[in-house]
Amino acid sequence: MKTTFFRCSIFILLFGLLFNTNGIAQENDLSKYRMRFNLKTIKQHDNSRILEANFIAANKKDRKDRIPVYDTEIEFFNVLDDDEVLIGSSKTDKEGKANITVPENHTYLTDGAGNINLVARFKGTDALDEEEEELSVKNLYLDMNLTEIDSVRSVVVNAYVLDSLGAKSPVEGTDILISVEGMLSKMPIGDGTIEDGEFILEMPVDIPGDVNGDLTVYSIIEDHDEYGDVIQKKTANWGIINGQSKKDTNTLWSEAAPIWMYMVLTILLVGVWANYLYTINNLFKIRKEGKQLEMDT
Amino acid sequence: MDGDIVSRKRELVKEFSPMLGKSSPFSKIWIGFLIVVILVGLVAFVLQVIKGHEITGMRDNVVWGIYIINFIFFVCLSYSGAFISGILHFFKTPWKNSVSRIVEIITVLSLIVGPIFILLCIGRLDRLHYLFIYPRIQSPITWDIIAILTDLIGCFIYLYLTFIPDFAMLRDNSEDAPSWRQKLYKTLAIGYQDTLTQRETLHKITRTMSAMIIVLAIVAYTVLAWIFSLTLQPGWNSTIFAPYFIVAGLYSGVGVIIISMFLIRKYFKLDHYIRKIHFIGAGIVLLVISLLFGYFTFSEYFSRWFSHKIQDTNLLNTLFNKYFWEFILANYIGVLVPIVILFFKKFRTIKSITFAAVIAVLGLWLNRYLIVVPTLETPYLPIQDTRPEFIHYSATWIEWALSFAGIAAFVLFFILIMKLVPIIPMSGIIDYEREQKRHHKPLIQNQKK
Repeated sequence: MKTTFFRCSIFILLFGLLFNTNGIAQENDLSKYRMRFNLKTIKQHDNSRILEANFIAANKKDRKDRIPVYDTEIEFFNVLDDDEVLIGSSKTDKEGKANITVPENHTYLTDGAGNINLVARFKGTDALDEEEEELSVKNLYLDMNLTEIDSVRSVVVNAYVLDSLGAKSPVEGTDILISVEGMLSKMPIGDGTIEDGEFILEMPVDIPGDVNGDLTVYSIIEDHDEYGDVIQKKTANWGIINGQSKKDTNTLWSEAAPIWMYMVLTILLVGVWANYLYTINNLFKIRKEGKQLEMDT
Repeated sequence: MDGDIVSRKRELVKEFSPMLGKSSPFSKIWIGFLIVVILVGLVAFVLQVIKGHEITGMRDNVVWGIYIINFIFFVCLSYSGAFISGILHFFKTPWKNSVSRIVEIITVLSLIVGPIFILLCIGRLDRLHYLFIYPRIQSPITWDIIAILTDLIGCFIYLYLTFIPDFAMLRDNSEDAPSWRQKLYKTLAIGYQDTLTQRETLHKITRTMSAMIIVLAIVAYTVLAWIFSLTLQPGWNSTIFAPYFIVAGLYSGVGVIIISMFLIRKYFKLDHYIRKIHFIGAGIVLLVISLLFGYFTFSEYFSRWFSHKIQDTNLLNTLFNKYFWEFILANYIGVLVPIVILFFKKFRTIKSITFAAVIAVLGLWLNRYLIVVPTLETPYLPIQDTRPEFIHYSATWIEWALSFAGIAAFVLFFILIMKLVPIIPMSGIIDYEREQKRHHKPLIQNQKK
């Protein structure tokens, strides 16, 4: 008996311990991975600029196996010839991304062609080698206006760079995407190419806006070799307001349930409870007969 | 003939009285231990009410933990008990006498203990009455409350019906019992004198109720499964969840019945009534259900794996990495070991069948854990504040204390009911002997002719 109890206890203990076997350490052999270190820049609608470095370890054989390099210090520099100005530094997040936002009024060092040379650098550790990525972009300005041209609602985008004298120089042959802001992401409504520094898009008239009927329109230049990412946005009261839909009654989502649901539940419950009452009634009959027999004897 | 039956009843009461009599030192210690476990659970409950769910492992992502698993486990146990009991009575299974009362007690007790666990899941118990004041008929949770309450009352009535003839026999033959016990038997027997009309009425309503609780068990089981499957969560949103729950419930139900049969047989030395044939019968039922359960489990995970939906893939990754051993234990060992033991005739001994049942029950509890927790750990949208304890669930001592208190309460109530009525229905034995005589009589008369 004691042995059986002992055996049972050991079995239960072992069984319980299995719940705590989750802490199996994971180790990855670094030689199987190739480090990918990228830098990109996004000029935002308020003319501030995001510098974003992406640090990922990608398996040489398995393309799906990509491990973000987490919590590493990345430094961002503005470089001109031998001069290196530290703009800021940031640590990579759990997705391997480190970014800083450079304010609009920051003065960059630019070369003769107006290029801003940016460098992201990871100093390296005992386990990881030093990484560096360089990027050269021109400071592109996007002006966007939402106006009516001949009673047609239009998105007008002007794109230019400033030369060394501060004069506007229109850009040519650059692809642009126009989107509107949605609840979860931006919805593209048109795209095209900027010619002679200008792009005009006729705005659709059937897009719902927010609660006030406002539409936020974005013009986006994405991953351009010369300018990087540039985003501009404007809001206009161009959204249509969908009429209040008729209030639903007797549906799965309304206050009152569908009629069939009430009926099915009622039939089921009445059927069951009627049987209970029938049973209890018969129990009373048994009791009555028992009492009668008791009185007779 | 009446005299024979009266003396036979007296004989049976005399035979089973020791079970109802005074407790042995071992059983007193055992009862004391169970009470201590329940008291620890009560302390844990008070702490939980005072400090809130913060002292449990349940958080924003994993809002359900082992309480809901215990709830499903006990409620499924009850439904399967009701189902099996209904089948035994309705089809007048020849060997029902040995197991029917065990099944009936399991049914009612698990239906009392199970819903307590769902109350523990509620963060604001002070708002519990809102469920009844502002129910949404469209919600499967409302259906479940209705189904559980209806089923609980039905099971109580059914259990009581099966107890009445035994209460009457105990009333008539317990002259030496304490007066409170005699009074209790008299009240509960409601004047049942085993007359032909009373017997027929009782048989008729017991049979109707047995059919009713089979249907109720299926409906309630289905509704319980719908609480999960009508949500869009990966791992829950499945069309086969309701029949899967029914099969899983039967699997655990038959397992617990076999374990109870083994313990009761051993403790009360009822080798004469609970024989090897009963274990083999129950073992074969367990084998069939384990095959079905294995089939459903395979279908469930295979279709999920094949769909390649990202959330399903994430869930399967969690199951095969973080919960690897639990998954193997629940869905491989918990199914294959009982199948292997029960499939081969030479392995079908009482001990090995009981061992298979223990493995099945533990495996099924784990299976429930794997249905609830990993799904909640892999949500569709990540919550912004993803602290590790929000994403990964780990039960605290409070939850374990309350879980063991629930099991202890189940066992304690079982023991107390066995102190009130014999675990083998005496009326069933009388009915069986009466039937035997009725079948033999015409044969003898024919022979005389």
